Amino acid sequence: MIELINLSWILALLGALTIYFVPANKKATLATIAVVGNSLVTSWLAILALTGQIVSFTFNGGGIMGDVIIRVDELSAWFILIINFTCITGVFYGSGYLKAYENSSKKLSLHWILYVLFQLSMVWVCMIQNGFVFLIAWEIMSLSSMMLVIFDAHNPKTLKAGINYLVQMHISVVFLTIGFIWVYFQTGSFSLDAFTTYFGSNSNIWLFLVFFIGFGLKAGFIPLHSWLPHAHPAAPSHVSGVMSGVIVKLGIYGIFRVASYLKSDYLILGEIIITISILSGLYGILNAAVHRDFKKMLAYCTIENIGIIGVGIGIGLIGLGNNVPILYYLGFGGALLHVLNHSLFKSLLFYSAGSVYQQTHTRNMEKLGGLIKSMPRTAVLFLIGAVAIGGMPPFNGFISEFLIYSGLIKGIQLQDMTQIILMILTLAGMSVIGGLSILTFTKTFGTIFLGNQRQTLAHKPHEVSSLMLIPQYVIVAVMLSVAVIPQFYLQIIGNILSGLTKSIVIPQPVEFVGYISIMQSISLYSVLLIGTIAFFWGIRALALRGKPQVVGATWGCGYTAGTSKIQYTAKSFSKSLSKTFNFIVIERKQYEELQVGEIFPKEKKYTSHYHDFFEFRLIHVVTNRLIYSANYFKFIQNGRIQSYVLYGVIFIIAVFILTIFNIVL
Amino acid sequence: MLSLILIILTATFFTGIIIRTKSIASGRKGPGIFQPVKDVIRLFKKGTVYSETSSFVFRIAPTIYFSSVFVAMLVVPFGQSKGIISFNGDFIFFAYVLGLGKFFSIIGAMDTGSSFEGMGASREALYSMFAEPAFFILMGSLGLLTGYTSFQEIFSALHLGSPISYALAVLAAFVFLMIAMIENSRMPIDDPKTHLELTMVHEVMILDNSGFDLGLILTAGFLKFAIYGTIIFNLFSGTIAYEYAIPMFFAMQLFLAFAVGMIESFMARFRMNQNAQFIVVLSSVSLLIFFGALLISGKFI
Repeated sequence: MIELINLSWILALLGALTIYFVPANKKATLATIAVVGNSLVTSWLAILALTGQIVSFTFNGGGIMGDVIIRVDELSAWFILIINFTCITGVFYGSGYLKAYENSSKKLSLHWILYVLFQLSMVWVCMIQNGFVFLIAWEIMSLSSMMLVIFDAHNPKTLKAGINYLVQMHISVVFLTIGFIWVYFQTGSFSLDAFTTYFGSNSNIWLFLVFFIGFGLKAGFIPLHSWLPHAHPAAPSHVSGVMSGVIVKLGIYGIFRVASYLKSDYLILGEIIITISILSGLYGILNAAVHRDFKKMLAYCTIENIGIIGVGIGIGLIGLGNNVPILYYLGFGGALLHVLNHSLFKSLLFYSAGSVYQQTHTRNMEKLGGLIKSMPRTAVLFLIGAVAIGGMPPFNGFISEFLIYSGLIKGIQLQDMTQIILMILTLAGMSVIGGLSILTFTKTFGTIFLGNQRQTLAHKPHEVSSLMLIPQYVIVAVMLSVAVIPQFYLQIIGNILSGLTKSIVIPQPVEFVGYISIMQSISLYSVLLIGTIAFFWGIRALALRGKPQVVGATWGCGYTAGTSKIQYTAKSFSKSLSKTFNFIVIERKQYEELQVGEIFPKEKKYTSHYHDFFEFRLIHVVTNRLIYSANYFKFIQNGRIQSYVLYGVIFIIAVFILTIFNIVL
Repeated sequence: MLSLILIILTATFFTGIIIRTKSIASGRKGPGIFQPVKDVIRLFKKGTVYSETSSFVFRIAPTIYFSSVFVAMLVVPFGQSKGIISFNGDFIFFAYVLGLGKFFSIIGAMDTGSSFEGMGASREALYSMFAEPAFFILMGSLGLLTGYTSFQEIFSALHLGSPISYALAVLAAFVFLMIAMIENSRMPIDDPKTHLELTMVHEVMILDNSGFDLGLILTAGFLKFAIYGTIIFNLFSGTIAYEYAIPMFFAMQLFLAFAVGMIESFMARFRMNQNAQFIVVLSSVSLLIFFGALLISGKFI
């Protein structure tokens, strides 16, 4: 089986190399072959792991790294399968999406080579069990995704978003490096298994928090989320789909991995995580509700879903701390299933939103409208994604959210008052998230696809090619499989969870089997719901047969000269909400008042946009201070070679003097 | 199964009684209590008018809205007898299925491209969002009080507690009644009889619906009232034998319908911008119930 591990990187690197030499129209095909090949190999390993055969091999990495263990265990397997599926749909969709760029061969080579490397590094991040090598793979992943984001590098905004992403990812790496070195100094090993030793003899909370900040930056917990709303809109849609679908999930993978080694402090960590997560969820969906750039909206929605996943992790940790196995299974299980579900519907939403962008060349939903008539398939796909992400039956979002809800309701039965209050507030928060996501997605779907076209577009939009539609159909099929046979996925998750924790073995409680059968019946009720809809639809068809059907204008309150501009806009749809929460969603308007004595008013402009609270009130304040104080040291970098030579001389003299007086050794 | 029959029976007269009460309170004779049902039957026989802007979403939305209310109805129990759908955590299913219906009724309204219907849709989405936490905190507290997590088990265990639990049930009844008013867009949140599109919430969303579709939406409204009425009855019923419980049920539904009619006759609608605050108050009442439940269960230190 070691051959398979080697085959993975050989296939990917070979593919990446040959992409450079083939003509522009073949590059996408070759990238597809490389990605699919690598996926098949690593998925095989993952399926082996899930069926109980864990593949592992060790090589000696030299003095510092020590023994490097490459191992595909159940947790890695779950994430590897998710990564592979999303990357495959991404590469197919991307081949269609980038068809228009076939004349710029260099751009395409760079893009597809990096895409292959991106997938390789993500899969390997899940397999490597050594801190040092993990960081290398992590870094390749961050760099390649950053280069994928700046596909449109001539656009300064895109470049800025890319650099923002790059900087934040390196802050994340700093925290991860600190964490790994910390463990290395305490235990003398970079291996992840050394965590067991560390957590056994040291305080658990601080090291975990360092890792939580490092991985949380990737995952997008508030206040570490500010790269997401910039990077996702800037990237090409298939890249945003894969980034939102899987790359943020690797942050979650990291948290799961470190949490599996924990030995104490479960309760306090669970409480911290659950609090941050529910706030992330509320903050994310609130911002998603007000933004009118639909890819930015989806980026904020990712933050919301990361919050929901985090709530699951928090419940699991509280369950471990209280020694209630069912909470551990419901919380962690719900989180793992939501990782899968979110990767499915979020990539679906990004792909269908990308199709809209490709046809209309705008991300501003106020300029769109009525697209359901010209792009009916894309509209239906987006609608399915929207219903699923709102967590409504009969789709898969409900299954994972139900598990997390059940965890919260079980948590209310705990003994400690603080935990009960935390659980009930989180329950209320989750319900608000559910209600707000209905508002957000009705707004988005209604404005983009329904009603009339709000502005004339340069090109008439058409339905996208089947190369872009088929991956989305496949995603819908998998989503339905989660909704219809949840027991299959839950049994896998049950197996993952029973072997996850390293310090204690938690056997699957009987209650969890009960929950699996509840899930089974929920899937039946979802089918019943669809059946009811079909039944009443049939009755409606019967009742309407032979009855007159008239088509007329929309009721205009007696006003007959309406234009498409008087339609309700996305901005007004969420206006009352943003007014209620104006202390979190900060709105800035720019306009000119009508002057006194201005008899013939000139044409006026009115713009309004929303600021990110944390970026505006926290990050910008800090960076502005930094820039302000750094200004005082500007004289050092003056561009004269003479001064630079002088600095060198001063440095050498300083080193010389300091060594003479034995100050540095 | 019993609850299904009772809800459908209640739905036939509930709205009629509200309207009759309002008529008598304002000095008119008013229509018979089955007039709303007769209106709906007449609508079912009619043809339809569609807006030229609308797509298939507009046509399917009322059906999905009605089906979601129908499936939610199957979850509601009656005393000791379970609903057709009953499992641990079924109230989450209840809330989310109703959410699905709301989602489609909102996008159905937006499909007409009207300037008013979007307004109503936006308000409906906002108000129901604010009402969600009240429902969930309330059900969570009842779960804490009884130790169960499904509608039927919670309600049948509820009476076993101290007299304080009946006091909590009264508060809970208030919250459920108000949620019912919000969900059905009645006073004091929304005035179904208003004649100005700008001040409507629910009515403006269905301006363009006609014929069979309008009939479905109205029927769903009747059912929703009866569903919440049944839930409120369940708070008090406990393990009362059916021969007493069923007459009590109808008496309570008549009383509730009468109460709604009186509220609507003697109260003005709130100002639009105060609605949100009012709905948030419901969540605080739910929190009050939660702390009561903590006290009773002895977990309050």
